[in-house]
Amino acid sequence: MTLQHCLLLAAAVFAIGVYGLITRRQAIGMLISLELLVNSANLALVAFAKHAGAPTQPLVLFVLAITVAEVAVGLALVMLFYRRYDDTLLDQANEARG
Amino acid sequence: MSSWVHLLSLDLAVVGLAALVMLLDALASLRGRTIGALVVAGLVGVLIASFQIDVTGTTPHGAYVSDAWVLFFKRIFLCAAILGVLGSIEWLDRHAPKRQAEYYALLLFSLVGMLLLPGARDWVLLVVAFELMGVPLYVLAAYAKNDTTPGEPKLAAEAALKLFVTGAASSAFTFFGLALLVGLSGSTSIAQGAQMSPLATVGLMLVIAGFGFKLGAVPFHFWVPDTYQGAPTPFVAFLSVAPKAGGLAALSVILMSTGWVGAKELWAPAIVVISIASMAVGNLFALPQTDARRLLGFSGIAQIGYVLIALAAATEQGLAMALFFIAAYVFTNLGLFLVVHAAAQDMGGHGIAEMSGLSRRSPWLGGALLVFLLSLAGIPFVIGFWAKLFVFLEAYRAGLVVPVIVGIVLAVVGLFYYLSVARQTFMAEGKSDEKIHAGAPLSAAIAVCLLAVVVLGLWPGPLVESANAAAAAFLGGR
Repeated sequence: MTLQHCLLLAAAVFAIGVYGLITRRQAIGMLISLELLVNSANLALVAFAKHAGAPTQPLVLFVLAITVAEVAVGLALVMLFYRRYDDTLLDQANEARG
Repeated sequence: MSSWVHLLSLDLAVVGLAALVMLLDALASLRGRTIGALVVAGLVGVLIASFQIDVTGTTPHGAYVSDAWVLFFKRIFLCAAILGVLGSIEWLDRHAPKRQAEYYALLLFSLVGMLLLPGARDWVLLVVAFELMGVPLYVLAAYAKNDTTPGEPKLAAEAALKLFVTGAASSAFTFFGLALLVGLSGSTSIAQGAQMSPLATVGLMLVIAGFGFKLGAVPFHFWVPDTYQGAPTPFVAFLSVAPKAGGLAALSVILMSTGWVGAKELWAPAIVVISIASMAVGNLFALPQTDARRLLGFSGIAQIGYVLIALAAATEQGLAMALFFIAAYVFTNLGLFLVVHAAAQDMGGHGIAEMSGLSRRSPWLGGALLVFLLSLAGIPFVIGFWAKLFVFLEAYRAGLVVPVIVGIVLAVVGLFYYLSVARQTFMAEGKSDEKIHAGAPLSAAIAVCLLAVVVLGLWPGPLVESANAAAAAFLGGR
Protein backbone atom coordinates (compact mmCIF):
# COMPACT_ATOMS: atom_id res chain seq x y z
CA MET A 1 0.00 0.00 0.00
CA THR A 2 1.40 3.34 -0.97
CA LEU A 3 0.31 6.75 0.31
CA GLN A 4 -1.95 7.12 -2.73
CA HIS A 5 -3.79 3.90 -1.95
CA CYS A 6 -4.34 4.90 1.64
CA LEU A 7 -5.57 8.37 0.70
CA LEU A 8 -7.92 6.92 -1.89
CA LEU A 9 -9.33 4.57 0.75
CA ALA A 10 -9.72 7.50 3.17
CA ALA A 11 -11.45 9.57 0.50
CA ALA A 12 -13.81 6.68 -0.27
CA VAL A 13 -14.71 6.27 3.41
CA PHE A 14 -15.22 10.03 3.64
CA ALA A 15 -17.52 9.98 0.62
CA ILE A 16 -19.55 7.10 2.11
CA GLY A 17 -19.85 9.11 5.32
CA VAL A 18 -21.11 12.20 3.48
CA TYR A 19 -23.56 10.06 1.51
CA GLY A 20 -24.84 8.43 4.69
CA LEU A 21 -25.18 11.77 6.44
CA ILE A 22 -27.34 13.10 3.62
CA THR A 23 -29.51 10.03 3.05
CA ARG A 24 -29.96 8.52 6.52
CA ARG A 25 -33.13 9.56 8.26
CA GLN A 26 -32.51 7.76 11.52
CA ALA A 27 -30.47 9.73 14.04
CA ILE A 28 -28.39 6.62 14.84
CA GLY A 29 -27.54 6.21 11.16
CA MET A 30 -26.37 9.80 11.07
CA LEU A 31 -24.17 9.21 14.11
CA ILE A 32 -22.58 6.21 12.38
CA SER A 33 -21.99 8.31 9.27
CA LEU A 34 -20.31 10.95 11.43
CA GLU A 35 -18.02 8.24 12.80
CA LEU A 36 -17.12 7.21 9.25
CA LEU A 37 -16.24 10.82 8.40
CA VAL A 38 -14.00 11.21 11.43
CA ASN A 39 -12.31 7.86 10.94
CA SER A 40 -11.55 8.62 7.31
CA ALA A 41 -9.60 11.61 8.63
CA ASN A 42 -7.83 9.30 11.07
CA LEU A 43 -6.92 6.93 8.23
CA ALA A 44 -5.40 9.79 6.28
CA LEU A 45 -3.49 10.98 9.35
CA VAL A 46 -2.01 7.54 9.99
CA ALA A 47 -1.17 7.09 6.31
CA PHE A 48 0.74 10.38 6.22
CA ALA A 49 2.68 9.36 9.34
CA LYS A 50 3.62 5.95 7.91
CA HIS A 51 4.43 6.88 4.34
CA ALA A 52 5.47 10.53 4.43
CA GLY A 53 6.94 10.74 7.93
CA ALA A 54 4.65 13.62 8.82
CA PRO A 55 4.07 14.24 12.57
CA THR A 56 0.41 13.31 12.29
CA GLN A 57 0.21 10.23 14.48
CA PRO A 58 -0.29 12.09 17.80
CA LEU A 59 -3.06 14.06 16.08
CA VAL A 60 -5.07 10.85 15.77
CA LEU A 61 -5.27 10.64 19.55
CA PHE A 62 -6.53 14.20 19.77
CA VAL A 63 -9.12 13.58 17.07
CA LEU A 64 -10.28 10.39 18.81
CA ALA A 65 -10.60 12.10 22.18
CA ILE A 66 -12.53 15.03 20.71
CA THR A 67 -14.84 12.69 18.81
CA VAL A 68 -15.58 10.62 21.90
CA ALA A 69 -16.65 13.78 23.74
CA GLU A 70 -18.75 14.84 20.79
CA VAL A 71 -20.49 11.49 20.35
CA ALA A 72 -21.21 11.24 24.07
CA VAL A 73 -23.11 14.51 23.82
CA GLY A 74 -24.69 13.41 20.56
CA LEU A 75 -26.02 10.16 22.01
CA ALA A 76 -27.50 12.06 24.94
CA LEU A 77 -29.24 14.39 22.51
CA VAL A 78 -30.57 11.45 20.51
CA MET A 79 -31.94 10.01 23.77
CA LEU A 80 -33.66 13.32 24.50
CA PHE A 81 -35.06 13.36 20.98
CA TYR A 82 -36.30 9.78 21.40
CA ARG A 83 -38.13 10.68 24.61
CA ARG A 84 -39.91 13.55 22.90
CA TYR A 85 -40.88 11.75 19.70
CA ASP A 86 -40.81 8.06 20.71
CA ASP A 87 -38.61 7.48 17.68
CA THR A 88 -35.26 8.57 16.28
CA LEU A 89 -36.63 9.33 12.83
CA LEU A 90 -35.45 12.83 12.07
CA ASP A 91 -38.24 13.52 9.55
CA GLN A 92 -40.50 14.36 12.44
CA ALA A 93 -38.25 17.21 13.41
CA ASN A 94 -40.05 19.93 11.55
CA GLU A 95 -41.69 21.79 14.39
CA ALA A 96 -39.49 24.81 13.77
CA ARG A 97 -41.15 26.95 11.14
CA GLY A 98 -41.18 30.58 10.30
CA MET B 1 7.61 26.20 32.23
CA SER B 2 6.70 29.08 34.46
CA SER B 3 8.12 31.47 31.90
CA TRP B 4 5.06 31.19 29.68
CA VAL B 5 2.24 30.11 31.96
CA HIS B 6 1.39 33.78 32.55
CA LEU B 7 0.38 34.04 28.87
CA LEU B 8 -2.59 31.85 29.71
CA SER B 9 -3.45 33.47 33.04
CA LEU B 10 -6.79 34.87 31.80
CA ASP B 11 -7.82 31.52 30.32
CA LEU B 12 -6.73 29.66 33.44
CA ALA B 13 -8.70 32.09 35.60
CA VAL B 14 -11.85 31.21 33.63
CA VAL B 15 -11.09 27.47 34.00
CA GLY B 16 -10.72 28.06 37.74
CA LEU B 17 -14.02 29.91 37.83
CA ALA B 18 -15.77 27.02 36.06
CA ALA B 19 -14.25 24.52 38.51
CA LEU B 20 -15.29 26.72 41.43
CA VAL B 21 -18.86 26.89 40.15
CA MET B 22 -19.08 23.10 39.93
CA LEU B 23 -17.48 22.64 43.36
CA LEU B 24 -19.80 25.15 45.01
CA ASP B 25 -22.76 23.42 43.42
CA ALA B 26 -21.66 20.01 44.70
CA LEU B 27 -20.40 20.96 48.16
CA ALA B 28 -22.21 24.10 49.23
CA SER B 29 -25.21 23.41 46.98
CA LEU B 30 -25.62 27.09 46.25
CA ARG B 31 -29.00 27.78 44.76
CA GLY B 32 -30.83 30.71 43.35
CA ARG B 33 -29.10 33.58 41.66
CA THR B 34 -25.97 33.50 43.81
CA ILE B 35 -24.02 31.37 41.34
CA GLY B 36 -24.95 33.64 38.43
CA ALA B 37 -23.83 36.68 40.39
CA LEU B 38 -20.57 34.93 41.27
CA VAL B 39 -19.90 34.06 37.62
CA VAL B 40 -20.57 37.62 36.49
CA ALA B 41 -18.30 39.00 39.21
CA GLY B 42 -15.55 36.55 38.27
CA LEU B 43 -15.76 37.34 34.58
CA VAL B 44 -15.78 41.09 35.20
CA GLY B 45 -12.66 40.53 37.31
CA VAL B 46 -10.97 38.67 34.44
CA LEU B 47 -12.00 41.43 32.01
CA ILE B 48 -10.49 44.11 34.28
CA ALA B 49 -7.37 41.97 34.72
CA SER B 50 -6.95 41.85 30.93
CA PHE B 51 -6.32 45.61 31.07
CA GLN B 52 -4.13 45.46 34.16
CA ILE B 53 -1.68 42.61 33.74
CA ASP B 54 0.76 41.98 30.92
CA VAL B 55 0.00 38.70 29.18
CA THR B 56 1.82 39.29 25.90
CA GLY B 57 4.48 36.93 24.62
CA THR B 58 5.09 33.70 22.75
CA THR B 59 5.40 30.13 23.99
CA PRO B 60 8.77 28.42 23.33
CA HIS B 61 7.78 26.56 20.16
CA GLY B 62 5.45 29.24 18.93
CA ALA B 63 2.30 27.20 19.38
CA TYR B 64 0.61 30.04 21.24
CA VAL B 65 1.09 33.75 20.69
CA SER B 66 -0.47 36.39 22.90
CA ASP B 67 -0.55 39.95 21.57
CA ALA B 68 -2.90 42.89 20.95
CA TRP B 69 -4.87 40.76 18.46
CA VAL B 70 -5.50 38.06 21.04
CA LEU B 71 -6.43 40.59 23.72
CA PHE B 72 -8.92 42.31 21.42
CA PHE B 73 -10.73 39.03 20.84
CA LYS B 74 -10.49 37.95 24.48
CA ARG B 75 -12.19 41.14 25.60
CA ILE B 76 -14.96 40.64 23.04
CA PHE B 77 -15.53 37.06 24.24
CA LEU B 78 -15.48 38.11 27.89
CA CYS B 79 -17.98 40.93 27.26
CA ALA B 80 -20.27 38.54 25.36
CA ALA B 81 -20.06 35.97 28.17
CA ILE B 82 -20.75 38.54 30.90
CA LEU B 83 -23.78 39.91 29.05
CA GLY B 84 -24.97 36.41 28.15
CA VAL B 85 -24.78 35.26 31.77
CA LEU B 86 -26.54 38.41 33.00
CA GLY B 87 -29.32 37.77 30.52
CA SER B 88 -29.64 34.11 31.54
CA ILE B 89 -29.86 34.51 35.33
CA GLU B 90 -33.62 35.01 35.55
CA TRP B 91 -34.53 32.52 32.85
CA LEU B 92 -32.47 29.83 34.57
CA ASP B 93 -33.88 30.63 37.97
CA ARG B 94 -37.39 30.29 36.63
CA HIS B 95 -37.08 27.37 34.20
CA ALA B 96 -34.18 25.21 35.41
CA PRO B 97 -33.64 26.11 39.07
CA LYS B 98 -31.87 22.84 39.90
CA ARG B 99 -29.52 22.87 36.94
CA GLN B 100 -28.05 26.35 37.19
CA ALA B 101 -24.43 25.53 37.99
CA GLU B 102 -24.00 23.20 35.00
CA TYR B 103 -25.31 25.88 32.67
CA TYR B 104 -22.71 28.37 33.85
CA ALA B 105 -19.91 25.78 33.94
CA LEU B 106 -20.67 24.71 30.34
CA LEU B 107 -20.83 28.31 29.19
CA LEU B 108 -17.50 29.00 30.88
CA PHE B 109 -15.83 25.96 29.28
CA SER B 110 -17.06 27.09 25.90
CA LEU B 111 -15.64 30.52 26.73
CA VAL B 112 -12.23 28.96 27.50
CA GLY B 113 -12.19 27.41 24.02
CA MET B 114 -12.96 30.82 22.51
CA LEU B 115 -10.27 32.54 24.57
CA LEU B 116 -7.65 30.07 23.31
CA LEU B 117 -8.63 30.33 19.64
CA PRO B 118 -7.17 33.65 18.42
CA GLY B 119 -3.73 32.94 19.87
CA ALA B 120 -3.39 29.39 18.54
CA ARG B 121 -0.64 29.03 15.95
CA ASP B 122 -0.60 25.25 15.94
CA TRP B 123 -3.20 23.07 14.23
CA VAL B 124 -3.60 20.80 17.24
CA LEU B 125 -4.25 23.68 19.65
CA LEU B 126 -6.56 25.38 17.17
CA VAL B 127 -8.70 22.30 16.63
CA VAL B 128 -8.87 21.38 20.32
CA ALA B 129 -9.82 24.97 21.23
CA PHE B 130 -12.44 25.05 18.49
CA GLU B 131 -14.04 21.84 19.72
CA LEU B 132 -13.88 22.99 23.33
CA MET B 133 -15.86 26.00 22.18
CA GLY B 134 -18.35 23.89 20.25
CA VAL B 135 -19.22 20.82 22.32
CA PRO B 136 -20.67 22.64 25.38
CA LEU B 137 -22.90 24.65 23.02
CA TYR B 138 -24.69 21.47 21.90
CA VAL B 139 -25.61 20.72 25.50
CA LEU B 140 -26.66 24.30 26.24
CA ALA B 141 -28.95 24.35 23.19
CA ALA B 142 -30.94 21.48 24.73
CA TYR B 143 -31.20 23.19 28.11
CA ALA B 144 -34.90 23.97 27.86
CA LYS B 145 -35.44 20.30 28.64
CA ASN B 146 -38.88 20.70 30.12
CA ASP B 147 -40.05 22.75 27.17
CA THR B 148 -41.77 25.52 28.99
CA THR B 149 -42.89 27.62 26.05
CA PRO B 150 -46.52 26.82 25.29
CA GLY B 151 -47.16 25.60 21.76
CA GLU B 152 -43.53 24.70 21.17
CA PRO B 153 -43.25 21.34 22.92
CA LYS B 154 -40.47 19.64 21.05
CA LEU B 155 -38.33 22.47 19.80
CA ALA B 156 -35.42 22.14 22.23
CA ALA B 157 -34.58 18.55 21.28
CA GLU B 158 -34.84 19.38 17.60
CA ALA B 159 -32.76 22.55 17.95
CA ALA B 160 -29.97 20.82 19.82
CA LEU B 161 -29.87 17.80 17.52
CA LYS B 162 -29.68 19.99 14.43
CA LEU B 163 -26.89 22.05 15.97
CA PHE B 164 -25.08 18.86 16.94
CA VAL B 165 -25.32 17.11 13.57
CA THR B 166 -24.13 20.13 11.60
CA GLY B 167 -21.48 20.93 14.20
CA ALA B 168 -20.12 17.39 14.33
CA ALA B 169 -20.14 17.10 10.54
CA SER B 170 -18.27 20.40 10.31
CA SER B 171 -15.59 19.22 12.72
CA ALA B 172 -15.22 16.01 10.70
CA PHE B 173 -14.67 18.13 7.58
CA THR B 174 -12.10 20.17 9.48
CA PHE B 175 -10.32 16.99 10.63
CA PHE B 176 -10.04 15.65 7.10
CA GLY B 177 -8.81 18.97 5.73
CA LEU B 178 -6.38 19.16 8.62
CA ALA B 179 -5.08 15.67 7.86
CA LEU B 180 -4.31 16.71 4.28
CA LEU B 181 -2.72 20.05 5.22
CA VAL B 182 -0.56 18.74 8.06
CA GLY B 183 0.34 15.60 6.15
CA LEU B 184 1.47 17.57 3.10
CA SER B 185 3.33 20.32 4.95
CA GLY B 186 4.96 17.91 7.42
CA SER B 187 4.41 20.28 10.34
CA THR B 188 1.59 21.05 12.74
CA SER B 189 2.54 24.73 12.74
CA ILE B 190 -0.11 26.80 10.97
CA ALA B 191 2.49 29.31 9.81
CA GLN B 192 4.28 26.57 7.87
CA GLY B 193 1.69 26.48 5.09
CA ALA B 194 1.62 23.59 2.67
CA GLN B 195 3.13 23.59 -0.80
CA MET B 196 0.54 24.51 -3.38
CA SER B 197 -0.97 21.40 -4.85
CA PRO B 198 -4.45 20.23 -5.78
CA LEU B 199 -4.58 18.05 -2.69
CA ALA B 200 -3.58 20.93 -0.41
CA THR B 201 -6.27 23.07 -2.04
CA VAL B 202 -8.86 20.41 -1.24
CA GLY B 203 -7.59 20.39 2.34
CA LEU B 204 -7.85 24.16 2.64
CA MET B 205 -11.37 24.22 1.21
CA LEU B 206 -12.47 21.48 3.63
CA VAL B 207 -11.07 23.48 6.54
CA ILE B 208 -12.85 26.66 5.35
CA ALA B 209 -16.07 24.65 5.02
CA GLY B 210 -15.63 23.26 8.52
CA PHE B 211 -15.25 26.70 10.07
CA GLY B 212 -18.02 28.09 7.86
CA PHE B 213 -20.54 25.92 9.73
CA LYS B 214 -19.86 27.68 13.02
CA LEU B 215 -19.96 31.08 11.36
CA GLY B 216 -23.37 30.19 9.98
CA ALA B 217 -22.30 31.31 6.51
CA VAL B 218 -24.12 30.04 3.42
CA PRO B 219 -24.13 27.15 2.38
CA PHE B 220 -23.59 25.95 5.94
CA HIS B 221 -26.43 27.90 7.51
CA PHE B 222 -29.30 25.40 7.73
CA TRP B 223 -29.08 24.94 11.48
CA VAL B 224 -29.20 28.66 12.28
CA PRO B 225 -32.92 29.56 12.20
CA ASP B 226 -34.11 26.26 13.69
CA THR B 227 -31.60 26.31 16.52
CA TYR B 228 -32.28 29.96 17.29
CA GLN B 229 -35.98 29.21 17.53
CA GLY B 230 -35.70 26.15 19.75
CA ALA B 231 -32.84 26.88 22.13
CA PRO B 232 -33.36 29.06 25.23
CA THR B 233 -33.41 32.67 24.02
CA PRO B 234 -30.83 34.07 26.50
CA PHE B 235 -28.44 31.34 25.42
CA VAL B 236 -29.16 32.09 21.76
CA ALA B 237 -28.18 35.70 22.49
CA PHE B 238 -24.73 34.34 23.40
CA LEU B 239 -24.70 31.70 20.64
CA SER B 240 -25.52 34.25 17.96
CA VAL B 241 -22.43 36.36 18.67
CA ALA B 242 -19.57 34.68 20.53
CA PRO B 243 -19.03 31.52 18.43
CA LYS B 244 -19.26 33.66 15.30
CA ALA B 245 -16.47 35.88 16.61
CA GLY B 246 -14.60 32.66 17.40
CA GLY B 247 -15.11 31.35 13.88
CA LEU B 248 -13.87 34.64 12.46
CA ALA B 249 -10.79 34.48 14.69
CA ALA B 250 -10.01 30.92 13.62
CA LEU B 251 -10.58 31.64 9.95
CA SER B 252 -8.34 34.73 10.06
CA VAL B 253 -5.61 32.80 11.86
CA ILE B 254 -5.67 30.10 9.20
CA LEU B 255 -5.96 32.31 6.14
CA MET B 256 -3.91 35.34 7.15
CA SER B 257 -1.13 33.96 9.32
CA THR B 258 0.17 31.28 7.02
CA GLY B 259 1.81 30.72 3.71
CA TRP B 260 -1.81 30.89 2.59
CA VAL B 261 -1.86 34.68 2.67
CA GLY B 262 0.41 34.43 -0.37
CA ALA B 263 -2.14 32.13 -1.97
CA LYS B 264 -4.77 34.83 -1.72
CA GLU B 265 -5.89 34.22 -5.31
CA LEU B 266 -6.87 30.77 -4.19
CA TRP B 267 -9.02 31.41 -1.12
CA ALA B 268 -10.19 35.01 -1.54
CA PRO B 269 -12.64 34.14 -4.36
CA ALA B 270 -14.06 31.30 -2.24
CA ILE B 271 -14.63 33.73 0.64
CA VAL B 272 -16.18 36.29 -1.74
CA VAL B 273 -18.63 33.68 -3.06
CA ILE B 274 -19.56 32.59 0.48
CA SER B 275 -19.95 36.22 1.50
CA ILE B 276 -22.23 37.19 -1.42
CA ALA B 277 -24.32 34.04 -0.93
CA SER B 278 -24.63 34.75 2.81
CA MET B 279 -25.73 38.34 2.26
CA ALA B 280 -28.26 37.29 -0.38
CA VAL B 281 -29.76 34.31 1.46
CA GLY B 282 -29.71 36.03 4.86
CA ASN B 283 -31.39 39.22 3.72
CA LEU B 284 -33.91 37.68 1.32
CA PHE B 285 -34.99 34.82 3.58
CA ALA B 286 -35.38 37.18 6.51
CA LEU B 287 -38.12 39.11 4.70
CA PRO B 288 -41.01 36.60 5.08
CA GLN B 289 -40.15 35.50 8.65
CA THR B 290 -42.82 35.91 11.32
CA ASP B 291 -40.81 34.72 14.31
CA ALA B 292 -38.39 37.28 15.72
CA ARG B 293 -35.76 34.64 16.48
CA ARG B 294 -35.81 33.19 12.97
CA LEU B 295 -35.66 36.68 11.52
CA LEU B 296 -32.61 37.43 13.65
CA GLY B 297 -31.09 34.12 12.58
CA PHE B 298 -31.27 35.06 8.92
CA SER B 299 -30.18 38.61 9.70
CA GLY B 300 -27.15 37.14 11.47
CA ILE B 301 -26.30 35.10 8.37
CA ALA B 302 -26.41 38.34 6.36
CA GLN B 303 -24.21 40.17 8.89
CA ILE B 304 -21.60 37.39 8.64
CA GLY B 305 -21.64 37.98 4.88
CA TYR B 306 -20.62 41.60 5.46
CA VAL B 307 -17.74 40.55 7.76
CA LEU B 308 -16.45 38.06 5.21
CA ILE B 309 -16.13 40.79 2.56
CA ALA B 310 -13.65 42.51 4.84
CA LEU B 311 -11.78 39.23 5.37
CA ALA B 312 -11.67 38.58 1.62
CA ALA B 313 -9.94 41.95 1.17
CA ALA B 314 -6.96 40.25 2.87
CA THR B 315 -5.38 43.56 3.85
CA GLU B 316 -4.39 44.84 7.27
CA GLN B 317 -7.08 47.53 7.22
CA GLY B 318 -9.64 45.05 5.96
CA LEU B 319 -8.88 42.71 8.83
CA ALA B 320 -9.03 45.60 11.31
CA MET B 321 -12.46 46.58 10.05
CA ALA B 322 -13.64 42.97 10.27
CA LEU B 323 -12.67 43.16 13.94
CA PHE B 324 -14.53 46.45 14.36
CA PHE B 325 -17.58 44.97 12.65
CA ILE B 326 -17.64 41.86 14.82
CA ALA B 327 -17.29 43.97 17.99
CA ALA B 328 -20.22 46.13 16.86
CA TYR B 329 -22.20 43.01 15.97
CA VAL B 330 -21.60 41.42 19.37
CA PHE B 331 -23.10 44.31 21.32
CA THR B 332 -25.94 44.99 18.87
CA ASN B 333 -27.14 41.44 18.32
CA LEU B 334 -26.74 40.39 21.95
CA GLY B 335 -28.75 43.41 23.06
CA LEU B 336 -31.42 42.80 20.45
CA PHE B 337 -31.86 39.15 21.42
CA LEU B 338 -32.10 40.08 25.10
CA VAL B 339 -34.79 42.68 24.34
CA VAL B 340 -36.72 40.07 22.35
CA HIS B 341 -36.33 37.69 25.30
CA ALA B 342 -37.49 40.27 27.82
CA ALA B 343 -40.48 41.20 25.68
CA ALA B 344 -41.45 37.61 24.86
CA GLN B 345 -41.55 36.66 28.54
CA ASP B 346 -44.47 39.00 29.13
CA MET B 347 -46.03 39.21 25.70
CA GLY B 348 -46.69 35.52 25.23
CA GLY B 349 -44.42 34.57 22.35
CA HIS B 350 -41.51 35.37 20.09
CA GLY B 351 -43.58 36.18 17.03
CA ILE B 352 -43.12 39.61 15.49
CA ALA B 353 -46.88 40.11 15.72
CA GLU B 354 -46.66 39.57 19.47
CA MET B 355 -44.25 42.49 19.73
CA SER B 356 -46.95 44.98 18.84
CA GLY B 357 -47.42 47.72 21.37
CA LEU B 358 -44.06 47.03 23.02
CA SER B 359 -43.11 50.70 22.98
CA ARG B 360 -46.26 51.56 24.94
CA ARG B 361 -45.91 48.77 27.44
CA SER B 362 -42.26 49.49 28.08
CA PRO B 363 -40.89 52.64 26.44
CA TRP B 364 -37.34 51.84 27.36
CA LEU B 365 -37.38 48.31 25.91
CA GLY B 366 -39.05 49.64 22.78
CA GLY B 367 -36.43 52.38 22.47
CA ALA B 368 -33.59 49.91 22.98
CA LEU B 369 -35.09 47.61 20.34
CA LEU B 370 -35.26 50.50 17.89
CA VAL B 371 -31.62 51.49 18.47
CA PHE B 372 -30.40 47.90 17.99
CA LEU B 373 -32.46 47.49 14.83
CA LEU B 374 -31.10 50.74 13.42
CA SER B 375 -27.59 49.59 14.24
CA LEU B 376 -28.05 46.28 12.42
CA ALA B 377 -29.60 48.11 9.48
CA GLY B 378 -26.64 50.50 9.38
CA ILE B 379 -28.34 53.83 10.01
CA PRO B 380 -26.23 56.77 11.22
CA PHE B 381 -25.22 57.41 13.96
CA VAL B 382 -25.15 54.14 15.82
CA ILE B 383 -22.22 51.76 15.75
CA GLY B 384 -23.57 49.50 13.01
CA PHE B 385 -23.41 52.38 10.55
CA TRP B 386 -19.67 52.83 11.00
CA ALA B 387 -19.12 49.07 10.90
CA LYS B 388 -20.81 48.72 7.51
CA LEU B 389 -19.25 51.89 6.14
CA PHE B 390 -15.71 50.89 7.11
CA VAL B 391 -16.10 47.33 5.83
CA PHE B 392 -17.44 48.49 2.47
CA LEU B 393 -14.73 51.18 2.18
CA GLU B 394 -11.87 48.79 2.86
CA ALA B 395 -13.26 46.13 0.55
CA TYR B 396 -13.66 48.76 -2.17
CA ARG B 397 -10.05 49.87 -1.66
CA ALA B 398 -8.92 46.26 -2.03
CA GLY B 399 -10.69 46.12 -5.38
CA LEU B 400 -13.70 44.06 -4.38
CA VAL B 401 -16.24 46.22 -6.22
CA VAL B 402 -18.89 43.57 -6.99
CA PRO B 403 -19.38 42.28 -3.42
CA VAL B 404 -19.55 45.87 -2.15
CA ILE B 405 -22.31 46.77 -4.62
CA VAL B 406 -24.20 43.57 -3.80
CA GLY B 407 -23.74 44.32 -0.10
CA ILE B 408 -25.09 47.87 -0.38
CA VAL B 409 -28.11 46.78 -2.39
CA LEU B 410 -28.90 43.99 0.06
CA ALA B 411 -28.37 46.32 3.03
CA VAL B 412 -31.26 48.37 1.61
CA VAL B 413 -33.34 45.17 1.46
CA GLY B 414 -32.36 44.64 5.10
CA LEU B 415 -33.90 47.99 5.99
CA PHE B 416 -37.33 46.60 5.11
CA TYR B 417 -37.42 43.81 7.64
CA TYR B 418 -35.57 45.65 10.39
CA LEU B 419 -37.94 48.58 10.09
CA SER B 420 -41.00 46.35 9.80
CA VAL B 421 -40.16 44.98 13.25
CA ALA B 422 -39.74 48.55 14.51
CA ARG B 423 -43.07 49.53 12.93
CA GLN B 424 -44.79 46.63 14.68
CA THR B 425 -43.46 47.66 18.08
CA PHE B 426 -44.21 51.35 17.71
CA MET B 427 -47.25 51.70 15.47
CA ALA B 428 -49.35 48.58 15.99
CA GLU B 429 -51.90 48.38 18.77
CA GLY B 430 -51.01 45.94 21.52
CA LYS B 431 -53.38 43.54 23.20
CA SER B 432 -52.93 45.17 26.58
CA ASP B 433 -51.27 48.18 28.15
CA GLU B 434 -49.81 46.31 31.07
CA LYS B 435 -46.26 47.27 31.94
CA ILE B 436 -43.48 44.80 31.22
CA HIS B 437 -41.14 43.93 34.05
CA ALA B 438 -37.71 42.85 32.94
CA GLY B 439 -35.63 41.89 35.96
CA ALA B 440 -32.57 43.80 37.12
CA PRO B 441 -29.83 41.58 35.61
CA LEU B 442 -31.54 41.41 32.23
CA SER B 443 -32.16 45.17 32.20
CA ALA B 444 -28.54 45.79 33.19
CA ALA B 445 -27.29 43.63 30.29
CA ILE B 446 -29.55 45.44 27.81
CA ALA B 447 -28.47 48.81 29.21
CA VAL B 448 -24.78 47.94 28.78
CA CYS B 449 -25.36 46.87 25.17
CA LEU B 450 -27.37 50.03 24.50
CA LEU B 451 -24.66 52.19 26.02
CA ALA B 452 -21.96 50.50 23.93
CA VAL B 453 -23.97 50.82 20.70
CA VAL B 454 -24.77 54.51 21.25
CA VAL B 455 -21.47 55.70 22.74
CA LEU B 456 -19.32 53.83 20.21
CA GLY B 457 -21.64 55.06 17.47
CA LEU B 458 -21.04 58.67 18.41
CA TRP B 459 -17.38 58.15 19.21
CA PRO B 460 -15.98 55.13 17.30
CA GLY B 461 -12.37 56.37 17.35
CA PRO B 462 -10.96 54.34 20.25
CA LEU B 463 -12.45 51.06 19.03
CA VAL B 464 -11.13 51.69 15.49
CA GLU B 465 -7.69 52.38 16.91
CA SER B 466 -7.60 49.23 18.99
CA ALA B 467 -8.88 47.19 16.04
CA ASN B 468 -6.10 48.66 13.89
CA ALA B 469 -3.52 47.89 16.57
CA ALA B 470 -4.82 44.33 16.86
CA ALA B 471 -4.62 43.70 13.11
CA ALA B 472 -1.16 45.27 12.94
CA ALA B 473 0.12 43.15 15.82
CA PHE B 474 -1.34 40.02 14.24
CA LEU B 475 0.11 40.56 10.78
CA GLY B 476 3.35 42.05 12.10
CA GLY B 477 4.08 38.95 14.12
CA ARG B 478 3.39 36.64 11.22
